[in-house]
Amino acid sequence: MSEPSPPSDGDASPVEVAAPALEVATSPTHTHPLTVLVTVMRSIPALLAAGLVLVLQSGLGDVVDEIDVNVLGVVLGGIALLLVLGAVVAGFAYLSWSRLTYYFDDSGDLRVDSGVLTKKQRRLALSRLQAVDVNQPLLARVVGMAEVKVEVAGTGDSRVTLQYLTFARAQAFRNEVLARAAGLRPDVSTAPQNVIVTVPTGDLLLSLLLSSTTLVGVVATVGIVAIAVLSEGAIGLVALLITGGVPIFAAFGQFVRFFGFTVAESPDGLRLRSGLTSTQAQTVPPGRVHAIEFEQPLLWRRKDWVRVQITVAGAGGAEDGQQSGTTGTLLPVAPRPVAESVVDRVLPGLGTMDYEWVPAPSRVRVRAPWQWRNLATAASETAFVARRGRIVRRVAVVPHARTQSVHLTQGPWQRRLDVATVRVDVAPGPVSVLGLHQDAATARASVDAQAQRAHAARQLAGPDRWMTAPPPSTPPPPEGLTPASG
Amino acid sequence: MSAVDGVFAPPSEDWVRVSPKLITARRLVLSVVLVPVVLVLALVTAFTAPGWVPATIAAVGLAVLVWAWWLIGRRVRSYGYCERADDLLVTSGILFRRLVIVPYGRMQLVDVTAGPIDRSFGITTVQLHTAAATSDAAIPGLAPDEAAALRDRLSAVGEQRSAGL
Repeated sequence: MSEPSPPSDGDASPVEVAAPALEVATSPTHTHPLTVLVTVMRSIPALLAAGLVLVLQSGLGDVVDEIDVNVLGVVLGGIALLLVLGAVVAGFAYLSWSRLTYYFDDSGDLRVDSGVLTKKQRRLALSRLQAVDVNQPLLARVVGMAEVKVEVAGTGDSRVTLQYLTFARAQAFRNEVLARAAGLRPDVSTAPQNVIVTVPTGDLLLSLLLSSTTLVGVVATVGIVAIAVLSEGAIGLVALLITGGVPIFAAFGQFVRFFGFTVAESPDGLRLRSGLTSTQAQTVPPGRVHAIEFEQPLLWRRKDWVRVQITVAGAGGAEDGQQSGTTGTLLPVAPRPVAESVVDRVLPGLGTMDYEWVPAPSRVRVRAPWQWRNLATAASETAFVARRGRIVRRVAVVPHARTQSVHLTQGPWQRRLDVATVRVDVAPGPVSVLGLHQDAATARASVDAQAQRAHAARQLAGPDRWMTAPPPSTPPPPEGLTPASG
Repeated sequence: MSAVDGVFAPPSEDWVRVSPKLITARRLVLSVVLVPVVLVLALVTAFTAPGWVPATIAAVGLAVLVWAWWLIGRRVRSYGYCERADDLLVTSGILFRRLVIVPYGRMQLVDVTAGPIDRSFGITTVQLHTAAATSDAAIPGLAPDEAAALRDRLSAVGEQRSAGL
């Protein structure tokens, strides 16, 4: 595709061309030169450790036995070694930086070429885009850099991380990727966003203190303090460190992660940002949310706070454990009405709790003494909902169009009680949809009905480039007018 | 019992059951694993422990063998599948019963596998995968041509029904 206006690199193209050119190729661009610095800085701890080990080995092994320990020599040697290693790392970092370029090709896909010894070319089909994250790891943040993660649907290694761009450039690039994926023109790159929710720091702190893990930790700690005092034993103190330490660290980690959590709305999806030391930004494109779950630990009930977990296809899968930051959490804590309104934006119409619940029969009291009152399922026009849990109340919602398969299971005890469990299988993620201990006949009927609903909802699914999507009620346009999907 | 069976009954036509050769194959695997272990344990203890120990081990081993032998028969006979207009039903289990319904539109791929033992008995396993990792709809113990035919039918309907991801 030859364009009259030269595709100058990056964001400097203020020329408004009237032609609705969807596929505009850009020329290969490097990441920011400071990448080299950040890479070297990142390796300093490892270098120091390696140097220390080498120095200790050579120093203690050979020199200490001699009468006069040549301390100065050892230190100087160590420093020289460090410098050499650092230079090697820096050289390699420079080479890999200079070989890495990224650009959009003629068909609008993102290309990343890299590799010093082995050339590597990757092409990410943006029509299958799952998420674009802008993260600021601590070291990168110090020098004002950010990394961009682009993830497309697919198993295995289906993501690319661009390290590092200036923060502004990273955001512009994110917008560009999203705009292209949505089928907009790439130069309409600043998608407006307006903040919907910000989680107040006080609320976050309080919610973490009131969460169930903390609660269990506190109870265990009190118990162990009692034991330690009574028995005057050291074992109690060790146990105290574990039971007291783990919840504190867990809560602190969550606090750092979810600090300043904001949810903003933009045409390319919901944007989630959070983080104290390193900032994570994640965009959840609409229609990629497979399931959501409202969670309410015991002590949140008085304030009616909830946490919202989401399963996004391609993110947070069981097979790739190295998911970043906030994946899976749509809201760490929010009052229920706020949470419901946010959920309404990712899955329209599903923020409500207003269903015709089918509760589990009271005879399951013996099987599930704690949670039996809260066990129920419901099915609306658009979604299947399952409620469970007592200490942590959970309500899981899955749209019919996202139901992958339906399970009905029954153990021996359940058979005696004439009940069965309904499970709706969804894409891998934090949410599982379990309708526990439903009346057996009802459960079978609901499983059959759910399979039918899943089948029916399948027919109405929209295309992948959501900005070009027709309104869901109208019939799809004739073949050839829709952009190629998938 | 009949009411309970009703819960896991197929909607209209009956379940298609799997080949009884699967029973033989599984019993063979059971014997090959269990018998040597029990024998070795009994022999070792026969020289090192009082006489009742190897006797008990042998008795328990035999009991487990008989029980598992019987269980395999029941369990394999409990496998069944049923192709409906819009979805596939798979059932299994005696003690812990299971029924999986997979709408054709959600199938991402269909696997046909046969290990060496399966092959020597002339049986294969057909496994359906969806985007959910937990779907887990496997039908073991199908005759190879039946499995291939099922796979082809499933792929055909899957292609018709699937609209995208």
